[in-house]
Formats: sequence, C-alpha cells, structure tokens
Amino acid sequence: MKKEMSAAARKKRLQHLLIHAGLILVSAAFVYPLLRIFSVSLRPGDKLFSMDLSIIPAGATLISYSKLLKDTMFLHWLWNSLLITLATSFIGVSLASTAAYSFSRFRFPGKKAGMILLLSSQMIPAGMLILPLFLMIMKLKLMNTYLGMIIAYSVSSLPFSIWILKGYYDTIPRSLEEAALVDGTSQVGAFWRIILPLSTPALSIAFLFNFTTAWNEYLVARVVLFSAKQYTWTLGLFELQGQFITQWGMFAAGSMLVTIPVLCVFLYSSKWLISGLTLGSVKG
Amino acid sequence: METLKSIVEVTWFIILVAVGVAALVGYLYSHFKFYARSWFFPAVLAVFPALALAVFGGLLGGYTFQLWLYFLLAEAAIAAFFRFLVKGRHTVPYLMLAPAFVGLALLLVYPFVFEVYLSFHDLKLTTIMMWKNTGTLPFVGITQYIKVFTTSPLSEVTFWALLLRTLVWTFTNVFFHVVGGFILALMLNNHIKFKGIYRTLLVIPWAMPQVVAVLAMRGEFHAQYGFVNIFLVKLVHHLPFLASLGVGPVQWVSDYPLITCTLINIWLGIPFMMVVILGGLQSISSSYYDAADIDGASYFQKLRYITLPLVRPVMMPAVTLGTVWTFNNINVIYLVTGQSGGTEQADILVSALYKAAFTYNRYSYSAAFAIIVFAMLFFFSVFYLKSFDAAKDER
Repeated sequence: MKKEMSAAARKKRLQHLLIHAGLILVSAAFVYPLLRIFSVSLRPGDKLFSMDLSIIPAGATLISYSKLLKDTMFLHWLWNSLLITLATSFIGVSLASTAAYSFSRFRFPGKKAGMILLLSSQMIPAGMLILPLFLMIMKLKLMNTYLGMIIAYSVSSLPFSIWILKGYYDTIPRSLEEAALVDGTSQVGAFWRIILPLSTPALSIAFLFNFTTAWNEYLVARVVLFSAKQYTWTLGLFELQGQFITQWGMFAAGSMLVTIPVLCVFLYSSKWLISGLTLGSVKG
Repeated sequence: METLKSIVEVTWFIILVAVGVAALVGYLYSHFKFYARSWFFPAVLAVFPALALAVFGGLLGGYTFQLWLYFLLAEAAIAAFFRFLVKGRHTVPYLMLAPAFVGLALLLVYPFVFEVYLSFHDLKLTTIMMWKNTGTLPFVGITQYIKVFTTSPLSEVTFWALLLRTLVWTFTNVFFHVVGGFILALMLNNHIKFKGIYRTLLVIPWAMPQVVAVLAMRGEFHAQYGFVNIFLVKLVHHLPFLASLGVGPVQWVSDYPLITCTLINIWLGIPFMMVVILGGLQSISSSYYDAADIDGASYFQKLRYITLPLVRPVMMPAVTLGTVWTFNNINVIYLVTGQSGGTEQADILVSALYKAAFTYNRYSYSAAFAIIVFAMLFFFSVFYLKSFDAAKDER
C-alpha cells in the first residue's frame, strides 16, 4: 500500500515538473518580445542593429530615452493622447452611469428594445463607422483637432460601459434607495447620493475601459490627425517605427514608456474587466 | 502656454456637452411635465422650432424658412407623441437614458445611415470638394455594389479572394486561440507553485497596448535584425539537418505577410481565451473528478466527459466574441502592411475596406463594401444565435 502511494506521489511530482517546464517555456516565449523591446531601448547608438540576443546589451545606456524626449515630440504626443482620452472617458462614463441606472431600476416601454440596440451595436464592425465619422468631422471642420477626436471616440465604449454598470447596479439592494425615498429624497437624489458613491469600483472600471480603448486607438487617429503636433502617441510611434533604419532605439524607448503604465493598470483591473466581459455576454 | 490653451479648449468642449445634455433634459422634461396643459401645443410650437433654428441653423445650411418648417413638423410630431402616447409616464428613466441614446443616435446610428446613403452615391476624390461646398452628391444607384464584386477593392486582389482569406484568417486565429488558451488554462489549473506569476506573465501580450505589440513584432520579423530570423539562423547552425528540410531565415513581411500577421495575432489573442477558460475551469467542482476517479476514468475521459461540457457555457460567448474580433481586426494587418509600399497579400475584408477608403480615397465604394461586410456579419450572427438558442432548447 505504502509503496503504491509513493509511486502515485512520484508520478504527481513528475507531472508537476513537466507542467512547470511547459509554463516556463511558454511564459518565456510570451514575454520575450517585451524584453526584447527593453533590450533594444538600452542599446548604444552604434549597436542598434546587431544580432545580439542578450537582454541587457553590452554598454547599456539610456541614450535612446533622452534622445526620444529631446529630439522628438514624444511628450507632446503623450499629452495629446492624455487630454483626448481623459475627456472621452469622462463624457462616456457620465452618460453611461445614468443610462445604466435607468436600465437597472425601472421598467418602461422600449427597455428591451434599448438593450437589444446596445448589444447589436457591438456587432457593427468598428472599421465600418470610421468613414462616416471622418466625413462628419470634416464637415464640422474639426479635422486635426482634439475635439474631432473626442467626438469620434466618445460613444465607442458607451454600450459596454452601460452594460457593466448595469450589472453592478443590479447587485446593490433596492432597500437602500427605498430608505432614502422614504426619507424624502427624489429618485434622482437617491441615485446621486447613494448609488453613485456605492458604485465607485464599477465606475472606475468603466472609466479604465474607456480610457484604455481610447488610449490605444490608432485607426481613427490616423485619418483625423495629420500634423505631427496634433499626433497621439500611437501615430507618433508608428512614425518612428516606419523609419526603422534610423529610429529603432527611440521607438523601443517610447514603447517602454507607454507600455509600463498600461501594463500596471491592466494587471490591476483585468479581473474586473474579464468578469464584465463574460458576464455581459453570458446574460445576452 | 500652449498646454494651457489645449486644456481650455477641451474643458470648453466638455462644458458645451454638459450644456447640451442639460438643454436636452430640460426640453424633454417640459414635454413630460406640461403635456396635458391647454397651452402645451401653442407654446412648444412657438418656442422650440425657433430655438432649434437659431442653434442648428448654421450647421444645417442656413437660417431658412424651409428649415424652420421642418423643425415645426418635427416638434408637432414629438409634442403629439408626448401628449397622446407617453402622457407623462416614466419620466425619470427616459430622462436618464436620453443623453446616452442621443449620443448613440448621433455618433452610431446616424453614421450608419450616412454610410448607407454614401453607398448609393458617388463620393470620391474628385467629388469631395463639391460635397464639402454644396452637400450634394450624384446618385448612382447600386453601381457601387456591383463594382465591389467586379473590380478590385485595392489594386489587384478581388472581393472573393478577400472573402476566402478572411475566412481562413478568422478560422486559423480562433482555432489557435482556443487550443492554445485551453492547453495553457489546463496547465495553470493545477495546484502548482508560482501560479500567479505564470498567469501574470502569460497575459502580457494581451495587456500591452496593441499598437506597441504589433509594431514591435513587425520589427522582430525583420529579415536581418529581427529575433525570429536570428533564432532560425542559430537553430539551423546547431541542427544542420533542418536546413535540408527548408528551415531557415525568410523575408517574413514581404514574402509571407499573411503568415506573419497570423503569427502575431495568435500571440496576441491566446491570453484572452486562456483567462476566460481558466475562469471556467476553476468553477468546476472537484467532486466530479473525484467521482470519475473512483470509477477509474482516464485523464482523457475526464477531459472529454467532464471538463469540455462544463467549460462550454463559458467558452461559447468568448469564442463568439473572439470570432467577431478577429473578423474585424484591422489593427494587426494595417500596422504590419499599411505603410507606403505595403503589400495587399495579407488584407482581409475589413482592412481592405479601410484601405479602399483612406489609401485609395474611394469613399462611396468603401461604403458599399462596408454595407456588404456588415450584412454578412449580421446574417452570420442571426444564424449563429438561432442555432445557439436551438442548442439550448434541446438540453
């Protein structure tokens, strides 16, 4: 009996060893491109193109970073992105927060149709609406401006935001608002003073989702913005990468600077985002 | 100074949006509140059409009597709707919904309708100035739709080739996403050390900004300096027999653009599937496996008869979502092949649609193309949901 146990245990250990080996291998393969960007960003100027595969290159230096910040408008691009993204997320989440409340708490004619509209809007290929939006922005004479970008972005994440906020409101017991209503607040007052403060986690997740979507967007920016001064960082990096031969180090440095904060935010919020994604689609 | 100016500009815009929302809510509120008063019709008909003309007249082509008449008709319809149908009920939910839905109507529904309009007209580089100045376009009927099937959306590749390529692209990607994600999730779903660390490392491709990930990978597929080829060279150097099998460095981006894009996209998409499937696996109660162990089931039997059926409900929505995402993925393909002198050997329907509009400036053509792609996706979804429902009913 005892011998059998140890055989099973040995088999288990061998199995775990294999799993570890497999996971280490795949993790390495998945992370390697990022490490590689890091490595390129540290290379001294004369060694940018080498067949070297080490992570910390010989003669590592931060020269690419300082060149990026000094010689290009990278900080300016980041600033443009930040402004556009913050404004978009703010508008998007504000609109979503009240709409979601109305879907969560009330019964009214057209509710089901509204929800279906929200879900089916997710089916429209994003690429399809770029052309009419581009023409509308042109007609409004907002080409190459922040406002044009904000308008183009502001509703793109709205359906998803409404969906996750509604899911969260649904979990807040109605008795809380009922108590407030008895105490004499209006329905809107109850929403403002009770539901909104309680929903801070969901609101921040919706905000983050809006933020990352707009922050990482490239295709609309490509057609709306055309002067380097108005570029968002995605356009700027594309430009640097396009001049592969000369600017690879700067491209890598810029990539690292944008990726690190995005990675942190993502890893922090991923649990929420995923539950929102799957919850929404399962229920739909 | 410039920084300050940009802040002011954006803040001003947000205030404008807020004022717009307030005006909208006030407008609707007046209809909800006073619908039954005797002065309701005369008052709203006197005030709102004139107000609308003053605010939107400039945007909609002049402060004309005709425009005022349109506003008057619209207002009459809206007022009648509120008086005889809504009758002041459900004020709060409608008011809370209104801003979001007006936003969606203006920036999602209207563009869609506008796209349909474009597809029946002729907007291209030579007519765009006319459209900008007068707002009118020559009507061409279904010519654009016929052209989509008879001429190349880009310079050589045909619609049918693009369609086939899109199907291959979508299937290959989703297949590898699901298989890769499933295997990784199974490996992670054990009681092993450092599980959290592995999981964090494995979601990095998904977590990186896509633009960075794709552009960096594009660089890494460079024939000479990218790590992919460097690895291949080293591999062949150490295992010379591989060379005779044809393994060796290749011109990835120029000779095999579609394979390059697919490899990049597989790398990008596995983590999402892995995380979703892992969530599903973790929710399976271990008692099923204990019972199966007692019955002496093998590993693959457990996988086939316990794991797969129980993960299915979690996986199906993710696979649907993944399919739609992959089908609609312009980013990867455009970022790899979109630069000047880029190839069209990797284009799928949606990326061709984007390039037709913005590289070739064939706007109306691209609109007709978009409508066709949308119709395909729409019928696929309806069909798919139907079969999904049917499968649900059977159980």
